[in-house]
Amino acid sequence: MKSLVKILLGFALAFSTLPAFADLKVATALEDLASVAQFVGGKHVTATSLCKGYQDPHFVPAKPSLMKAIQNADVFISVGLELDGGWLPLVIPGSRNPKIQPGAKGFIDASEEINVLEKPVGTVSRAEGDIHPLGNPHYYVDPANLEVVADHLARVFGELDPTNADDYTANAKAFDEKMEKALKGWEADLKPYKGTSIVVYHENFVYFSTRFGLKLFGTVEPKPGIPPNPRYLTETAEAMKAAGVKVVLYQPYYDADAAQQLAKKAEGTAYEIPTEVGGVPKAKDVFSKFDFIVSTLVKAFSGK
Amino acid sequence: MSKRFKLFIFIGALLYGPGLSNAQTRSIISNLANPAIGMSALFLGQAAPNLTAPGSTGPSFQEAEISVISTVDPLWTLAGNFTFDAGSGLAEEAYAITDSIPNIQIKVGEFRAAFGKHGTLHTHAFPFIQAPIVMSNTIGEEGFKDAGIEAAWMTPLPWYCELTLGGYRQVAVTPDHPLNFNGGSMDNIPYLIHLKNLIDVDEDTTMELGGSDLTGMGDDGRHHFVFGADFTLRNVPLRQSNQRGWILQGEYIRKVSNVGDIYNHESDGWYASFQYRLSQEWWSGIRAEEAFNSVSDISDNPTDTSLSGHVQRASINVAWLPSEFSELKLEYGLAQTANGGPAQVDNRVMLQFNYIIGFHPPHAY
Repeated sequence: MKSLVKILLGFALAFSTLPAFADLKVATALEDLASVAQFVGGKHVTATSLCKGYQDPHFVPAKPSLMKAIQNADVFISVGLELDGGWLPLVIPGSRNPKIQPGAKGFIDASEEINVLEKPVGTVSRAEGDIHPLGNPHYYVDPANLEVVADHLARVFGELDPTNADDYTANAKAFDEKMEKALKGWEADLKPYKGTSIVVYHENFVYFSTRFGLKLFGTVEPKPGIPPNPRYLTETAEAMKAAGVKVVLYQPYYDADAAQQLAKKAEGTAYEIPTEVGGVPKAKDVFSKFDFIVSTLVKAFSGK
Repeated sequence: MSKRFKLFIFIGALLYGPGLSNAQTRSIISNLANPAIGMSALFLGQAAPNLTAPGSTGPSFQEAEISVISTVDPLWTLAGNFTFDAGSGLAEEAYAITDSIPNIQIKVGEFRAAFGKHGTLHTHAFPFIQAPIVMSNTIGEEGFKDAGIEAAWMTPLPWYCELTLGGYRQVAVTPDHPLNFNGGSMDNIPYLIHLKNLIDVDEDTTMELGGSDLTGMGDDGRHHFVFGADFTLRNVPLRQSNQRGWILQGEYIRKVSNVGDIYNHESDGWYASFQYRLSQEWWSGIRAEEAFNSVSDISDNPTDTSLSGHVQRASINVAWLPSEFSELKLEYGLAQTANGGPAQVDNRVMLQFNYIIGFHPPHAY
């Protein structure tokens, strides 16, 4: 028995004294947030996401291995607005890490300073599907919102690691400038198609369409979280044909068959685009993600 | 106190009392920090040729559960689960949790002990309508529920390895509590040791191995033990986490007692199940199980207590989940005795309706 205790204590000591490779170990609920955190944190931060970009952020299995992954994190960044409400209530307490529990300095809700769209008015009812009662949580599909997140992260990182606070502020400023420049390019690319209608699989494109002036004609899902049935697809396809809508967008984790079926019935085309970093191999960070989205849309709208 | 001063106070109270009262009603009572509340309800319909007692077939109200949870203060979170069936209400669980100690989670109150896999599930989360027979013979159909304290330590090993130690109140044998932990001596503190290991086999698949031991002294002067071992292989394709997946699970539980060196094997049993997700809305499952020295009457029929001893059962089901918050489950179960002689058979079809409203915390992986 004594030897067993010694072995366990030995392991505990060995693994609890692992050297830190960065000043702040940051974990996030989404790859986009990890990407922004890495830009802002630079060499002082290692940022990793628990949810992969090709994974539906609504349905992340709350694996105990995720709890293990954040056992020693200094910071956890949640998407907020209940997007991660289906798994964080298990994973965060399960990490047994007091530094990142809600209310602690190391827990960041990245949505706090965002201008949230589609906040429900009046009674919230699940008759409308699996709606988000705090508003649409897919704010990270608007490049400008990521600037807000970057500034927010720089402030909190600076509070947690005052020695490098100036670096975080400078990095956030550089990120904002780079994003503003890129945004101008994306706006120019999509300007000819302002007002074009599209169909998306889920209501996760409203921030992007608002930013770039696209019109959301409908969704492949009849209601959020509810899979489409053949009758709904036929009705939607007929409406698309009547309105001349040709483009259907879906994410890697949605049912590609349903999106393609709808596009075929509507005599249009379905395109797989990532709304999250890592959704496709080319979307390596937040900039290349928007590059991919914009170039796919230009191709879809121009027919080239 | 002078008469004039009393009169002043009285007039002041008349003039300002109602105003103050209204102001306080408006300003100091707030519902902003109310707990998250949810409710689940289970309705069951069943039919079987062997169920002859009045009311044993047809539709029934199985159970409703009201759950509340909220943060108490920076240290504690408090949760409660209150269950109701047609005849009674019960504070099934009420416990506080703290995550303020690095690597350790403390739970205090009345709750399900962290024994095995199936024993930690709430009824509405059972993968099959009927709990495995071995449960009611060993720790209880819905797990070992008692007042106590548990500490769950996530060890620093490179994989998820959790060691839970628990101490509980002395408790007598009841229909829900098959364990005799009612020895009255001061040093009788029923305790639990549970070890849970989970590794990622690959990005989509996990393997979990667990072992549990629950021990206490009975009022019969014997030590009573329950040992359990569980194995789960689970696949959730990350690219289709809401559409596909499967779970292969098995659990063995054994209940013994002893005085000195003399051990008495009381009951044991196992189950093995396979669940397969066909699409976003459809799940199916199959389960085989066996119980030895079974004392529970699984025929659910007061006129027939014969389905005990060595019992085998096979179950198959299909579930339709039109959303995350409702489920219809159709299940067929065939149980029979294997005691030698003519087998007694329980042969039933069940249809369960499962609904959830309000806030419902995510189920454990």
